[in-house]
Amino acid sequence: MTYNFQFRDVFAAWEFLLEGLALTLELSLVTMAIGLVIGLAGAAARVYGAPWLKRIVAVYVETIRNTPLIVQLFLIFFGLPSAGLKFDANTAAMIALSINLGAYSIEIIRAGLEAIPRSQIEAGQSLGLSPLQIYRYVIIFPAIKMMFPALSSQFVLLMLATSVVSQISAQDLFHMASIIQSRTFRDFEVYILVAAAYLVLALLFRLAFAGIYQFVFARR
Amino acid sequence: MSLVELKNVVKRYGENTVLNGVSLTVEKGEIIAIIGRSGSGKSTMLRCVNGLEPIQGGTVAFNGTVVNDPATDLRKLRQHVGIVFQSFNLFPHLSVEKNITLAPKVVKGVPPAEARALAEAVLRKVGLVEKIEAYPDQLSGGQQQRVAIARSLAMQPQLMLFDEITSALDPELVGEVLKVLEEVAREGMTMMLVTHEIGFARKVANRVVFMHEGKIWEEGPAAKTLGSPRTPELETFLSAVLH
Repeated sequence: MTYNFQFRDVFAAWEFLLEGLALTLELSLVTMAIGLVIGLAGAAARVYGAPWLKRIVAVYVETIRNTPLIVQLFLIFFGLPSAGLKFDANTAAMIALSINLGAYSIEIIRAGLEAIPRSQIEAGQSLGLSPLQIYRYVIIFPAIKMMFPALSSQFVLLMLATSVVSQISAQDLFHMASIIQSRTFRDFEVYILVAAAYLVLALLFRLAFAGIYQFVFARR
Repeated sequence: MSLVELKNVVKRYGENTVLNGVSLTVEKGEIIAIIGRSGSGKSTMLRCVNGLEPIQGGTVAFNGTVVNDPATDLRKLRQHVGIVFQSFNLFPHLSVEKNITLAPKVVKGVPPAEARALAEAVLRKVGLVEKIEAYPDQLSGGQQQRVAIARSLAMQPQLMLFDEITSALDPELVGEVLKVLEEVAREGMTMMLVTHEIGFARKVANRVVFMHEGKIWEEGPAAKTLGSPRTPELETFLSAVLH
């Protein structure tokens, strides 16, 4: 069993790959930003909110975490237009990924919030801080610091999971791989290259997160 | 009008009654030492004064404001009532300066430069001005507690509550904290302190309150109450802690 690798045609299509890479990167970064905001707000609601609010957030989190991402994606891209809500593929991808990452972020940040001792909140209250000020100045930083490894892992997973958006024809890295494959019929080479691209991207993200941790959190 | 007025305060945790009809008044400038066995309700009573513990009966008033009235703005009230805890409760991710200036800045809107000067002033009082850039985990327990006192002082409260503030300290660090307390007392601060330091209570407090089984069992001028207890419970307690 021998296979003769021929990367030349695949390499020739590098512009497609680069274009796909750009969308993958963009989707990942935007989603991480939105996911983090959803996570911070949702976790606060889940831990400190009124009972009805806690329940709503719990339903959101459990629904998302217990259904496949691709189903969520299809619901938004193919399902919602029936209700009159139509998005282009990239927007639908971004919405689905953000909703998905948001749910996981809430769970992770919630664990961080619950690990903050009650006495820290009391110290804030006793100084006259409002609940929002306590959250912002007293709780968030130690909570995120504690959960940073879990959170950054989740973010890397999300980046890898962006590959499903090719299923709704968003032109990400994986989608571009299929295009190159159909032009060159060099399946093995294309997917080796794409795997390598995801691997490099994932390592870069991990490196960046490690840098952020060192820079922002490790000192304190 | 008394600065603090507790009337028939009842506090329960489920079936367990922690405060069973506690009445106490504290005048401006007074220093009240609250002593008693653990579980006698002394810390709980202290925490009722700034509304950290909701109560099930009676009233707690500070400066005429009813603390346990749901309509009371507790945030506003707490700006005037400082509390220092047994376990310091400094914010671990903030420097000493930020620990002290956080509340003045975000609650009172004190501008940064002024807040820094304020931090230096209160740190000078507790003898730690050189630690202004340090973080809590770089300080000893005694130093952390002194910073906590400084943080509370920075809000310029009218009343300070001290909840067993030397109980978590190594014995050799107790002295430096008590010294700071004495200093604060000398400046005329109204203070309520829950303490096991009977000697200190005798020396600094105007009045001693002995709590037993959720009630104020005995109270009176410090020297007299500690010197010649009227009840066998206080006598037993004193002989237990003094030996």
